[in-house]
Order: sequence, then structure tokens, then C-alpha cells
Amino acid sequence: MPASADATALGVPAEPSPTLMARIREVGRLLNRAFPVIIVAVLILMIGLVAGRSGGTTAAAEVREGLTIGAVYALIAVGYTMVYGIIELINFAHGDVFTLSAFYAIFIAEFQPFGFNLNSLATSGPPGFFAALAILMPLTMIAAGLTGMLIERVAYRRLRTAPRLAPLITAVGVSFIIEGFLFATQGSTNVRTGKANWLPGNAFTVGGVVISWHDIFVFFSALVLMFLLQAFVRLTRLGKAMRATAQDRDAALLNGVNINRTISATFFIGSALAAAGGIIYSVKDDLIVWNLGFRFGIIAFTCAVLGGIGNIVGAGVGAFLIGLIQVFGGQLIGSAWDNAIIFAMLIIVLVVRPVGLLGMKVADRA
Amino acid sequence: MPEPIVDPLAVTETAGPTTEEPRRDDDLAPPDELPATASEAAREESSVGFTALVIAGLVFIVAGWLLPWFVEQTSNGIGFSAQDAVSSPPTGIGTFVVYLIGVAMVGLVAFALYDLLNSITHRGRPLRWWRRRTALAILGAVGTLVVWLLIGVLREEPLFGNISSFAATDNAVWMTLTGFVVLALTYGLRPWVVTHGEVAFGGVVFMIGALMPFIFNQSTSFIEWGASAAAIYTLLALGLNIVVGFAGLLDLGYAAFFAIGAYTCGSLASPVHGLHFPFWIVIFIGLAVAALFGAVLGAPTLRLRGDYLAIVTLGFGEIIPDAANNNLFNATGGPEGITGIDHPSIFGFNFGIDAKFYFWSLLIIIAIVLVLLRNIQRSRLGRAWAAIREDEVAAAATGVNPVTTKLLAFSIGASISGLAGAFFGAELGSITPDSFQFAVSVTVLSTVVLGGLGNNTGVAAGGILVSFIIFWMLDHLQEWMGTFGLKFGLPALGTIDYSRWVYIVYGAILVGIMLLRPAGLLPSRARKSELQAGGQSEALAVVQGVV
Repeated sequence: MPASADATALGVPAEPSPTLMARIREVGRLLNRAFPVIIVAVLILMIGLVAGRSGGTTAAAEVREGLTIGAVYALIAVGYTMVYGIIELINFAHGDVFTLSAFYAIFIAEFQPFGFNLNSLATSGPPGFFAALAILMPLTMIAAGLTGMLIERVAYRRLRTAPRLAPLITAVGVSFIIEGFLFATQGSTNVRTGKANWLPGNAFTVGGVVISWHDIFVFFSALVLMFLLQAFVRLTRLGKAMRATAQDRDAALLNGVNINRTISATFFIGSALAAAGGIIYSVKDDLIVWNLGFRFGIIAFTCAVLGGIGNIVGAGVGAFLIGLIQVFGGQLIGSAWDNAIIFAMLIIVLVVRPVGLLGMKVADRA
Repeated sequence: MPEPIVDPLAVTETAGPTTEEPRRDDDLAPPDELPATASEAAREESSVGFTALVIAGLVFIVAGWLLPWFVEQTSNGIGFSAQDAVSSPPTGIGTFVVYLIGVAMVGLVAFALYDLLNSITHRGRPLRWWRRRTALAILGAVGTLVVWLLIGVLREEPLFGNISSFAATDNAVWMTLTGFVVLALTYGLRPWVVTHGEVAFGGVVFMIGALMPFIFNQSTSFIEWGASAAAIYTLLALGLNIVVGFAGLLDLGYAAFFAIGAYTCGSLASPVHGLHFPFWIVIFIGLAVAALFGAVLGAPTLRLRGDYLAIVTLGFGEIIPDAANNNLFNATGGPEGITGIDHPSIFGFNFGIDAKFYFWSLLIIIAIVLVLLRNIQRSRLGRAWAAIREDEVAAAATGVNPVTTKLLAFSIGASISGLAGAFFGAELGSITPDSFQFAVSVTVLSTVVLGGLGNNTGVAAGGILVSFIIFWMLDHLQEWMGTFGLKFGLPALGTIDYSRWVYIVYGAILVGIMLLRPAGLLPSRARKSELQAGGQSEALAVVQGVV
């Protein structure tokens, strides 16, 4: 009886005698409502299992690992969620912008105009590190942001009114172009970013778990950037224009919002944050490879969906959750199943609660 | 509407020697807005098959002209090619014939290009003077045939020019000839082709397809390409077209069903489990299992729409190869996959590794699938898919059951994919999880979108085009550019490592085609009207049952 779902959606009372489908639907509704609780409970259960099997120290170390990888996912996921929120496009090229900007960062850090470069500056000590970061971060973010704007201008703008699949295919095409460019110029093997020793040393040890300066830098820089972004979107005029465009493009246009500029700005900011993600990933893991962005992109999109697509805070929350689930799932089932766990998670989220943890109802628009 | 083209009875190919030109309807004011646009639309639509045939003919002529520049020269080839004419002007007794053919070639190609340009830009009246084109095409084809047959039969030095050896290859000769025949048939049977575009296009494609192993008997790599890549990808694209094009359900994990079909058939006909079922039974099992999985994996996605559905299917598409890679239930062989899969045999004749037989079998299967799809599309189920695609709530309200309709789309699409997987495994003899990655799903989807969503002819053409680009052109780019560079004194061209640039080329092609033709190369009528006039006329087209 498929018609009853639509009937209830339209406000018509459901049939009095519950059929099997109706019961399933009732269970689904309960699951949907309880979903945030369930996912947190499952996560705690997983942490408990790992702690019980391998000891509390291992579990705590895994929490650290999950939070740092989640920080990288968060910065990429923000770009997905913003772009999807505003033009309803899965920007497949976004993950590759992340990889590309990590390579931009390598180039900028190794650029040597005055006899020294940012790498040597950064390793000279904490003040040098912050000075290098203050130069590298904006430059890379601007370069990546301009790349993002260029991609939007060339590949997506003309297709804004085309059938939905057309921009999706160009997004895949742009992704191939970026990956191909990196493959052709950087080779097919892992490339050292040279940022592993930018911030050496351990900060402190909590209950046997070593927390390095890396971890603190990665986690908090992601938090700060997300906070700044949220403030930007909430408080500035351009942020308001973005929210208006995401809500109703035509109405925003009628109210004097420059749609093209707003969408360009969205791509700029999303790509810039992916670039920040690329830098903190370089500091964290040091190795980067031409097609890394594909996997990270899909995972980051999963994070965005889990949090509720179009919602910036949701993307952050989803990213940290996915980071933890990936790490603990890998511990429990085996790291070969990493991807499968994440995608199974994604499927469960979409089936049980399509709007994500913090999302609004947008499923019908798609 | 006053055009003879839309009236097949008025002008046929046997219309006699009348020299009457088709009337110019520029002078006639359209009596009414609606009929004018309707006839315009009908003519544009019906000329799609015509355009496709013109393109096919041109591709063959041009490829035949250019091929000898790019392939290894063989000493026992027959004939004369464009290069010979360029490199050594004809001086012998054949001069007259050659120049005649040359004029016919140039005229025909120019006309065809003009037609093509018109139909791409949707401007002008591309339909006049077709008799002259017919005459040129026939002249070119017959002239070329005569010259080549003479050379082939006499097996002498070419009749003209100072050519030391047989420079051209059979492939090139047969390709040029095929191109002329296609163009001659297209222009000669023009009224029929315009009204029966799909049938004509299909007929020509299958004719060329069946002859392909003979046309390209000198280059086995081309036949292997045709068998293992083009045919399988075309089949996959046709299956995905059901899900994406007909029912409007965006599926990014289609390779999962391909993998399921391949693994099912691989395990049932290989030493892995000691089972050796005959191939022709196994393919039906693979088909059924893939269909079952299609329904099972489709079930949780029923509530989702659009991009969310895409992401869930993408997830499935990632999980299935992962599961195969991790040797799920010890049945998939892990990263090494399944090896030693039996090759099919028919009446005691084993196909072995000869690509020709797989190619012909796949061709027959594609023909059957095309006919079935055409019928399904026009059945109650096909209309239900269109209704679901246009507006699910409205469809459900008017009595279409969305659950069964969507599940049928998933499982029918998956079953075709399973069939392709069975052939894939049987031909290669081994399968690994690497063959079913996301890239496969994307390639198939881009094939469907490039070819023209919802249009079987377009999708089949897209399948041939995309697999040609990916599996043959990009593979041979190095070799071609090397030969090309040597011939034209630019040896630097051959020193570039093209394998590094393959991704960029493919990506640029995807982006370029999508920007130029967002509805695909051969869009279905509904898609086209959607692009041109908004949703109204698409709904109309669906109601009229012309989708």
C-alpha cells in the first residue's frame, strides 16, 4: 500500500487497521526520531568494545586518531555541504581540489626567493612555525579558492539550468582533469609534503596516551576555521546572500542578490577550506598521492550527508562521528573494511533518517 | 509540413528521374504557430537517425583515409588510399577515375558536413538537394569499389602514381568503402531513413558490427577492443539507461551488479568451487542473481530521491568490490579474484580466447536487448517509469505502484548488467575486484548521459563512442602520435609520454561534450523538449507516448 505514505504526508489520516507496511513505517519513524541517540550509543558501544578488548589506552589513542582524521574530513565536508546547499550539485571535483591544494602548499612552501623557504622557517621553532603558517595558509587558500571559482565558472555555470545529470558529469570530468594533471606532473607514487617536522614533539600525555602538537594543531585549527566560517555565514552580508540563495534562488535574485557572485564566493570559500584541510593533512600525515582526493571526497560527502546536507555545523559533527566510526570500526572488524563500514553507515543514515542529524527536510527537492 | 520528407509515400528512392527540387518552405508562412513547431520538432527528431548515419559514414570515410597514416603498413594489403594520392599524384591511366572519385568524395563529404552543421546548430533547411548527394555518394562508392576491386583482383602495382609497394592496408580500404556505402544508402533511401531513423541506424550498426571482424582483419587489437570493451560497455549502458534514463533513478554504483554477475558466473564455471556448468545456463543464473540483488539493494532506496539515491547506490558500488576484495565467505578469491573461468562453447565448438565469437554473441544479445527495451518502454511498465520519473506523487496518486515500478527498473537494469558481467568473465577467463571499481560506474553513466538519456539508439552510439575513446584511442595514442610525428617531420610528438595525459584528455572530453550538448549527443525527444521549452512539453510527450 504505497499510497498511504503519501496520504499521511498530505495530512490525510492513515488507515485505521495497521498493515504490515504501516507497522514497518511506524518502526522507521521511531528509528528516525531516535537516530542521534542510537548513533551515539553505537559509537560508545564500539569504544567500549575496543577498550574491553585492547585496553583503555588503545581506545583513547583511537579516539585521538578518529578526531584528527575527522578534522580533515570536516574541512572538506564543509565545501560539499555549502555547494550542495546552494546549487544542489555533488561537486565530485571537490575532493581533488583538496589534493591539488596540498600540492599547492608543497610548491609554496618550497618556493625559495630569498635564500630560505617556508619549510626551513617553520622548522626553526614555534614562532617560525606560526609565521610560516600565516604565510602559507592564506596563499594556499587563495590559490585553491581561485581554482574552485574557475571550476565553477568553466564547468558548472553554463549548466545551471541544464538537466541535473549534466553538471554531475562535468564534475566527474573536472575530477578526472585534476587527477590527471596531478598524475602527469607529480607521478603515481606517494609524494612527501615535507611538513612532517613542522611541529615536532609531544604536548602532553593523558593516561598513557601521547598527544602531540600535531594532533592539537590539526584538531583546533579545524575547529577555529569552522567557527569562523559559521560566523561568516551567520553575520556578514555575503553570508546572508548565500543563505538566501540556498533557500530560494529566484527570490534572492528578486531581492537584489547577485547570484553569480554569491555562488562564486561559495566555491571560493569551500575550496579555501579544502585547502586548509590539505595543509593540516600534510602536517598530520606527510604523504599525499594524486588520487587521494577521490576517497577523501566521498568520505567527506558522507560526513556532510550524515550531518545534514546544507548544514555547516552538521558537516563538522558528521565528520568527527565518521572519523571515530571509521577508526573504531577498523579496529573491530579489520581495516580492510574501512570503506565498507563508512558506506554502510551512509546507507543506514539515508534510509533511516535521510535529512541527516541536524538537517532540514530537503529530500523532496532533489 | 509541406516537406516531402515527412511523407514517405510522396518521395521514395524509386521516384524516378524527376528533377523536381523539394519545395522551399521558407516562402510559405506557417499557417499556425502550433503545427509549425510541431512539424519542426517532428522533423528534427526524425532526422536524428539520419544525422547519426551521416556521422557514421563520415567517420568511416575519414578514418579510412587517415588510418594508413597511423597503422603499421602491411605488404599484402590491397588498394589505394588518400595518402597515396597526396604523396604521389596519379599519372597513369587511372588518373581520370581517381579524380572523379576525388571530386565525388570531396563533394559528398562537404555536403554531409553541411548537413551535420545545420542539424547541430538547428538552423537553415538541411534537407534540400539530397538527390545530388545521393548521386555523389553512389558515384564515389561505385568508383572506389571498381578501382579497388581492379587492384585487388589484378594484384598488380596500383594503376596510377609511382607507388613502390602497396602502401594502404585492407582495413583502410574497407573502412572508406563502408563509409561510402553508408552515406550512399543514407542519401539514397533518404525518405525512408528519415521516417525510420532508429531502424535504419540499428540496421547499419549491426551490419557494420557483424562485418567488423572482416573489415579489421588486419588489426586484431581492434576486434578485441570491439568484443571486450565496446560491446560490453554498450550492454552496460543499455542496462543503466533503464534505471537512469527511463525511471529517472540516478545510480552511481552500477558496477556492483556487473561484479555480481561476473562473480556468480565465474564461481559456477571455474575450478574455484569445482563447478563447471555450461555457459549458456550460467548466464541466466547470473542474470537472475543480479536481478535479485538489484531488487534487494533497490529496496532500501525506495524512499530516496535524486542525489541521495545516487550516494546510496555509490555506497553499494563501493561495498561490493570491497567485499570481493576481502574474500567474503571465502567465495571471491580476494584480490586475486577468480581465475580459470571456462570459455563458452556451442555445439562442441569452444570459443576459446578468440574475440570474434564473443563479439558476435554480444552483438546478437544487444540486438535482442534493444528490441526488448523498445517494447518495454512502450508497454504499461515503460509508461509507469516515465510517470515516476516525472512526478512520483502524481504517479502514485493515479494508480502507479512506485514500489514495484522502481524495483522492476532496478532489477531489469541489474539483470542486463549481470549478463554483461557473465560475458566479461568468460572472455577474459579471470576476474579481479579491480575491474569493478567506481570508475566503471562513472564510465557507464557518462556513456548514458553522453549518448542521450532515455534514448536507446543514442545510448548504444554513446557506448561505442566512449569505449572507442577510452579503450582504443587512448590506448593507441602513443603509437599514433609517434607514427604521425614521423610522417610529418615532427618526431617530438612521439616522445611525449601520452599515458600520463590520458585522464586529462578523458576528463576534457566529458566536460566539453556536456557543455556543448547538455542533453547528450542524441537526446530523446522528451529530453530535448524539456531543454527547449521547459517541463510542459515533456509532460505532453509522455502523455502522447512518444518517449
